[in-house]
Amino acid sequence: MSQVIESDVCIIGGGISAAMVAERLAETTEASITVVEAGGRTASLEERTATRARMLAYGENPYPNDHIPGQTGTGEMYQSMVLGGAAMHWGGAVPRYSPEDFRVRSLYGVGYDWPISFDDLEPFYQEAEERMGVAGEQGPPEYDPRSQPYPMPPLPLSWNLLRMREWTDAAGIPFWTQPWARNTEPWQGRNVCQRCDTCAVCPTGAKYTPDFAFDRLLAAGRIRLNERTLIRSLGLESGSDRIASATGFHQDAPDEPVQFRARTFVLAAGHAWSSHLLLMSANSRFPNGLANRTDNVGRYMTGHWFASGFIELPMRLYPGIFPNNSLLSHRFASPGPLDRYLRHDIRLWESTVGREARLAADDGRVLWGDEVMADWRARTRSTATARIRSYYDVIPTPESRLTLHSGMRNSHGDPMPRIDYAAGQATLDLEPHTHETLLGRFDELARAAGGRMMSTRASRLFEHPGGGCRMGDDPATSVVDARGRAHDHENLFVVGAPTIVSSGCANGTLTFCALSLMAAEEIARG
Amino acid sequence: MAESRRTFLKQSAASVAVVSLPGCAPMSAESPDALLPATLRAVGETMLPEELGADGRERAVAAFELWSEGLEPVAEMAHPYLVPETVYTGPDPRPGWAAQLRGLDIESRKRFGASFGEIGVPERRSVLEPHVRRAGPDLGRPGNAAHVALALAAHFFASPIATDICYGRAIAKQQCRGLAAAGDEPAPLPGVAS
Ligand SMILES: Cc1cc2nc3c(=O)[nH]c(=O)nc-3n(C[C@H](O)[C@H](O)[C@H](O)COP(=O)(O)OP(=O)(O)OC[C@H]3O[C@@H](n4cnc5c(N)ncnc54)[C@H](O)[C@@H]3O)c2cc1C
Repeated sequence: MSQVIESDVCIIGGGISAAMVAERLAETTEASITVVEAGGRTASLEERTATRARMLAYGENPYPNDHIPGQTGTGEMYQSMVLGGAAMHWGGAVPRYSPEDFRVRSLYGVGYDWPISFDDLEPFYQEAEERMGVAGEQGPPEYDPRSQPYPMPPLPLSWNLLRMREWTDAAGIPFWTQPWARNTEPWQGRNVCQRCDTCAVCPTGAKYTPDFAFDRLLAAGRIRLNERTLIRSLGLESGSDRIASATGFHQDAPDEPVQFRARTFVLAAGHAWSSHLLLMSANSRFPNGLANRTDNVGRYMTGHWFASGFIELPMRLYPGIFPNNSLLSHRFASPGPLDRYLRHDIRLWESTVGREARLAADDGRVLWGDEVMADWRARTRSTATARIRSYYDVIPTPESRLTLHSGMRNSHGDPMPRIDYAAGQATLDLEPHTHETLLGRFDELARAAGGRMMSTRASRLFEHPGGGCRMGDDPATSVVDARGRAHDHENLFVVGAPTIVSSGCANGTLTFCALSLMAAEEIARG
Repeated sequence: MAESRRTFLKQSAASVAVVSLPGCAPMSAESPDALLPATLRAVGETMLPEELGADGRERAVAAFELWSEGLEPVAEMAHPYLVPETVYTGPDPRPGWAAQLRGLDIESRKRFGASFGEIGVPERRSVLEPHVRRAGPDLGRPGNAAHVALALAAHFFASPIATDICYGRAIAKQQCRGLAAAGDEPAPLPGVAS
């Protein structure tokens, strides 16, 4: 072995879940911590003004070199393999799941209960919000339960969203400001949001990205960071089921293996690569992959689906004031008793759809110069567009599965992940009812404003994906326990997205972070 | 045009023109891929609103020239959400656009006995109309435009300034503006219909 690196804790992956674990362990223990990230660094904060300008002008990726050529699979996956992971690109929408998400089997007779409750996770939600810096508005407590206030006041509603909130109030559905991992006050040395409209790449540092946390830990000498180092397999201690090592290579020296040895290993490689690495680590004692005695690794891959639409509103709005803020309602995520299962959120944004300049009139006549402007003004003077979207939860199934791809290999010849997502039969059976109800709700909202639906769409993309190493009390049906510890390996933790039981009807990353912090508390106990 | 409006157009168009785009390297005027300046300006007079005035249109064309100089062919695009493949922008459209500008001159000479810049606006429109018609009503991204006239129009109409002029308000989209005024109705632009 060319190089052996020893530490107390080895964290595999350098995304947002890894950042949460590393920070908490660095603060609450004396442990030596190594973070191993397959990718390198992308645009620094200083460089983001320039990459933002090119993204706006040309649509270019504002995060150069944020992926590894050939290291990719099929199915819904993020391309980013870089320090910070997918959360370099993220928008930073950070709602919590609802209490019902953790008890759908008990409450509604569908899907699976989690081995933890909302109340168990609540302190870790708060901690995650404080670590990243979340600005939010307290919604009605019955739909937005929290034990403490948001760390920061909410992003202000734009003039557009204020008008839209008057409309939703009149419709009788409570909406409040989407919580965001973006600063409304200086937070941990980072700036306040400047309303630049390009949250995919924030030039001011107001949006939380995990590289900030890693840089802080590096500056404090609390972590060792091995970038551009892809772990290819985990190995066992001889005669025991404990993990002894993680072996990989630096991208610049692919033929010189690097081995990481630690007392505790934390797999924080995201929803796809975590299961992938366990499957890749098969050995004679675990022929189907590590942590996979009961054949659950890679199963129950999940995410939420959505229905969306555009509403024409009889009001004047000014798209572009603050398109990256939105209104949120969790009214229907906590619906009370139901005849037929459907839980969903609703989000509303300003939109330019149908309100952009165009070169032909409705009758097909070509428009020139001043005519283009006149036509554009006519379509924006007293009408506007709102975008509406509802995530609804998909009931997970063991058939929704990540396996090793027989026909797709990286430059080392390793098979890549293949994810064949599927929805449980309950979701498919309920789909007509789900769509009818959602589109009916959209239509009712539109009519409450005197508006009309312009278009609707249903998506089966598994958004905010997770699963593959789901948590549970029963090793026969789960991979890790309620704190992320692998049932099969006492010193291996899997954290964040892979461990979710279901993906609720809200953006998932805050929950992934809260779960990671909960695992970190257990790891710190030793 | 009211003086205040003229000032606004001048200032705002100038601010577009001087935005320095990292990675821009000016193309020499002799390059076969250079966009013929006079013909491009004649296209601007045909496609862009007259209400911008000559100055405003000149600045919009200059901003387009600067933008096209900085264009990098087959650049990696921002990742589409949850798509694991890398997506790239198209090949270099500029040689085609340069040829199209030369083509406009040739066609104008054949049909009207003078270059595109020398013929009247109605004649220019008759030359450009088939290209505009073929593209359909939506402008899309300028880099994807099948014709240079559409690229120029797409570039201008997608700009923050075009939005402000359309609404007659200082919306200033995509400009870092601070949070304080987010809840206010954008201020009217003096002299611009709102
Ligand atoms: C455009 C976009 C917008 C989004 N917006 C939102 C939003 O508004 N709200 C929200 O909740 N979510 C959003 N998301 C999703 C969010 O970014 C992800 O849920 C989150 O970043 C996942 O974090 P993670 O730590 O689980 O995994 P990842 O970010 O995937 O991090 C895992 C890291 O592990 C590394 N790794 C993997 N395998 C290995 C290995 N074998 N060896 C070493 N390193 C390895 C990878 O390189 C990667 O950097 C968005 C995502 C995108 C792309």
